[in-house]
Amino acid sequence: MDTSSPAALVNGGLLRMHVGRKVRAVIQVVRSEVGSVVGKSTDDRQLVVKGSPPVPLTSYVEVIGVAENDNSIQAEIWTNFGDSFDTSNYDQLCQLANGEFKHLFL
Amino acid sequence: MYSSSQFDATSAFSGGGFMPSQPSQFANSTPSPARSRDTQGLISVTVKQISEASQSGDEKSNFVIEGVDVTNVTVVGMVFNKNVRSSDVRFHLDDGTGRVECIRWVTENLDTREMDALEDGTYVRVNGHLQSFQGKKQLSAFSLRPVTNFDEVTCHFIECIHFHLHSKLQSQGGALSQPQMDSSLSTPVRGASTGIQPALVNDFSVQYSADGLKGFDKMVLNYLQQPSNM
Repeated sequence: MDTSSPAALVNGGLLRMHVGRKVRAVIQVVRSEVGSVVGKSTDDRQLVVKGSPPVPLTSYVEVIGVAENDNSIQAEIWTNFGDSFDTSNYDQLCQLANGEFKHLFL
Repeated sequence: MYSSSQFDATSAFSGGGFMPSQPSQFANSTPSPARSRDTQGLISVTVKQISEASQSGDEKSNFVIEGVDVTNVTVVGMVFNKNVRSSDVRFHLDDGTGRVECIRWVTENLDTREMDALEDGTYVRVNGHLQSFQGKKQLSAFSLRPVTNFDEVTCHFIECIHFHLHSKLQSQGGALSQPQMDSSLSTPVRGASTGIQPALVNDFSVQYSADGLKGFDKMVLNYLQQPSNM
């Protein structure tokens, strides 16, 4: 039983609340470059995710890592989330998990 | 307060989903018989909620989460530190809120094949029984499967929030004024406003606005919001 290192569920706008801490986000891949992926967060902001993405990469990928600043994440874990994903549901979840129901998560 | 012809909220809400029914927490219900494990559903929880669960003092040694007796839970997270032994397979489940140790007792080849599919780093849904061993909480898993559609991850966390809200409202003693009413109800809820402030109703409107309130739900909500019902 260990709750010492939770990862906050974030979208683009919420990333700034957790700079320097562990976060997780689902992004839609826009383009893949060497050593990083540029993607769109579930609230339509551009995010840069650094690290080594899996090959092949699906359209949606969840990244878990440390928030470097308000638009980039240094990712340690990448999980392909497939080519279809409900981003609006996830976005609403991010709002709830960082707001009224934060105590259930962090 | 409630009249004897009051609709039974417990049965109305126990039809859908896996909400635990807690008749003893409603105003003038008769005492409920001893609840066996079999009448419990599967509660969606985060590992953080599990870590904060206290043990109920009774001989059934259940856990209490949000004031509700909980034995069986469902969690969704990633497998780590998978450790295959002769009698069981152990791993840590990390759902982003924490890690909990899970044990899957293995008796037949069928079970080991199920576990083979679950490598470190895969997302799984684990249904299991909460236990305490040497002071540590553990999950004795009776069913596991890999997640294939990742909307399930989002849905699971929403269910955790739902369970939390549901328990919170029950413990406040009022009947639930959720927009998601059982459609077989023919009469609007009367007297349900005791203890419910307008703010609570508004919270639900916000929470469910993504789904869009359907015609019947809107009617009920409007009825409840009439001054005579406040």
